[in-house]
Amino acid sequence: HVRYRMEVSCLELALEGERLCKLGDYRAGVSFFEAAIQVGTEDLQVLSAIYSQLGNAYFHLHDYAKALEFHRHDLTLTRTIGDLLGEAKASGNLGNTLKVLGRFDEAMVCCQRHLEIARDISDKVGQARALYNFGNVYHAKGKSICWSGAEPGDFPEDVMAALRKASEYYEANLVLVQELGDRAAQGRTYGNLGNTHYLLGNFRNAVASHEQRLLIAKEFGDRSAERRAYCNLGNAYIFLGEFEVAAEHYKRTLQLARQLKDRAVEAQACYSLGNTYTLLQDYERAIDYHLKHLIIAQDLNDRIGEGRACWSLGNAHTALGSHDQAMHFAEKHLEICRETGDRSGELTARMNVTDLQTVLGLSYSTNNSTLSENIDDKMQGARPRMSRRRSMENLELMNLTPDKMNVQK
Amino acid sequence: VQELHGDEPKSAATASTQLFHSDGGEMEPETMEIKSVSEYFTKIHIDSLLSGHGG
Repeated sequence: HVRYRMEVSCLELALEGERLCKLGDYRAGVSFFEAAIQVGTEDLQVLSAIYSQLGNAYFHLHDYAKALEFHRHDLTLTRTIGDLLGEAKASGNLGNTLKVLGRFDEAMVCCQRHLEIARDISDKVGQARALYNFGNVYHAKGKSICWSGAEPGDFPEDVMAALRKASEYYEANLVLVQELGDRAAQGRTYGNLGNTHYLLGNFRNAVASHEQRLLIAKEFGDRSAERRAYCNLGNAYIFLGEFEVAAEHYKRTLQLARQLKDRAVEAQACYSLGNTYTLLQDYERAIDYHLKHLIIAQDLNDRIGEGRACWSLGNAHTALGSHDQAMHFAEKHLEICRETGDRSGELTARMNVTDLQTVLGLSYSTNNSTLSENIDDKMQGARPRMSRRRSMENLELMNLTPDKMNVQK
Repeated sequence: VQELHGDEPKSAATASTQLFHSDGGEMEPETMEIKSVSEYFTKIHIDSLLSGHGG
């Protein structure tokens, strides 16, 4: 009788945990699952389901150490009881968790096991899911090796090799999910394949994949996915040197971010638009978008974003010859870099302030308009340099930094 | 025209920010495998019903 009460109680607690997680309340879900474990159960399938869901709940809560712990328990348990399908699922989840933790080699072992079992039991859905996870691990591995400084298509060979592997797994996945007619899975794969092509420097392929992703997002009315696709398309068009097209895609991103009430994404879209209009040498519009970015960054207390906005605004005003305004933003950029401990940003900001002091000092200290105009010409040097950039080979873009924009050659 | 900072190291400003999404694009969500207690019991229930009818 006591045993029966316990079983009911464990089951009830687990069911409530399940219900809460389905509603997206993972915190509360975790409490119920942990209570269910405290009560305990004789039914190992129930225990496996609880471990697995606890692992997933922690994964969604970004507590990956805890997620790892429970997916491990689940794997051990399923192996002990010889539950192959359960082991495949546990391996998949453990692989995803290890990937997020940057433990790629271990993650690959899990993906491989997931794939093997799915093949052994002729589970095509499982195979497709394992291939997608595999692609994700290779993609994350590639990105983790060498990241800052380099530009898409121009990474070290080991990075490119990992990215090529990722694209192979995504392609293999696509064959299966197309056969299965699983449009949602196709959408996800096209998105990540697009990002992989982008990093490999295959920008046309990236566009083709993201176009497919966009189409499927629209079919499902999935506006978050639609927004991601527009943003990723914008990025690819930048590297193709098609700035007008990029701007149109970023505008759709902005529209959707506003509809979705996602302020951080709205800020990011404004920032991208500001940069795109800078490339188009439409500095007034660039300033307009960078100001919008600045306001949101301030609202969100994002000091780093605010610093970027000030830096960009300083450059745009410099390009327009509004040196007073440029100085205002350069000083603000300097202040924020000091506060956030951004050493190289501080150096840039200080250089900008010094340059502007020179220009302003000279224009104020003399009535000689010829001298003043001369300096103005110098400070507007961004224009001819920028126009040269329009005929992209756009790989240079990532290095387009404020000092370079100001520098005269 | 003079170069304003010709002798500055080129890397001086690169970390301040990068113009576009330098993170390589926004990724799609992971697909986690799902196990469910309620589905497990529904299955057991159906199995027992089926075997009940069979016997």
